[in-house]
Amino acid sequence: MNFKFNKIRVLETGKNTASWNMALDEVLMKGTTEVPVLRLYGWEPPAVSIGYFQRLNEEVNVKKCANLGIDVVRRITGGGAVLHDSELTYSFITKRYPQNIIDSYKLICDAIIIAINKFGFNAKFSPLNDIVVNGKKVSGNAQTRKKNILLQHGTILLNTDIEKMFSVLKVPPEKMRDKLITDVRQRVFGLDRTFEEVVIALREGFREKFHAILIDDKLSNKEEIETERVAKEKYSSDKWNFGR
Amino acid sequence: MRKVHNVLKSQKLIKIALEYDEISNTIHSIKITGDFFLYPEDSLDKLETNLIDTKLEKNSLIQKIRESLDDSQAFGFDSESLTKAILGCLIH
Repeated sequence: MNFKFNKIRVLETGKNTASWNMALDEVLMKGTTEVPVLRLYGWEPPAVSIGYFQRLNEEVNVKKCANLGIDVVRRITGGGAVLHDSELTYSFITKRYPQNIIDSYKLICDAIIIAINKFGFNAKFSPLNDIVVNGKKVSGNAQTRKKNILLQHGTILLNTDIEKMFSVLKVPPEKMRDKLITDVRQRVFGLDRTFEEVVIALREGFREKFHAILIDDKLSNKEEIETERVAKEKYSSDKWNFGR
Repeated sequence: MRKVHNVLKSQKLIKIALEYDEISNTIHSIKITGDFFLYPEDSLDKLETNLIDTKLEKNSLIQKIRESLDDSQAFGFDSESLTKAILGCLIH
């Protein structure tokens, strides 16, 4: 699918807390102009995010996360629980997008696929929301649409630490745990590249896919202040995180 | 009133927490969670509200779910699988 943007605003916002990361996505979504935004970021400390329709206590061992210094947050997007550790997260926010949901996922995932394939892989889109290399998931993506603005965010796995993931996510009884870990290990794939290498590849992927000029930018004071407020009032609150 | 739960693996995982009236066999309250996608997201609240007082039998549930999600797009479940997940609560 051909889709062209003249410019893309690029924000490399570094590694931040879970509440701040999710707050900034929301703030950017509310403030998006005709120029789409590509945000590239990480999580410090590591974090578990759950989907909008998930219940935190059902999915995550919250106490263990607290003991390990792992943040927890609920996203505004659907999908499953994700451990954000050895991975890079992107957000793409646009006012212009295909109305068909699968088409819109594919459009944005195409940019990620171009990026991944720059490392010599043969990544492919796996509907609805995954990207796979040799049938193994390397990227999970989720999107929401509010007031005709689309936000898609997703992760690109750099390395996989399945044991760590299962240590904080609630999984079936112990007798099934080993099999589940083996199954998941066979189904996921880390790029084994650095965060910085993948940032460069993603920038190229979006530039090529959308024939766009990338405009490097920083957050405005207003965006920073609003992000701090939303992080504190919404994404750090039990009301939101335990809201379902 | 009786509280029951069920988990169904459809295309995505659907988890149901159901409270129902054993005499009238109708839903008193229901919470649907899981790793699915639904657009717009607030359709799920509308669906949960609409399901209250619905009879716990296949045709009534499918019809109510279809009506409630008429303007929505769900990925990871459909009216049939959601109905199966709800009725599965009664088996466990």
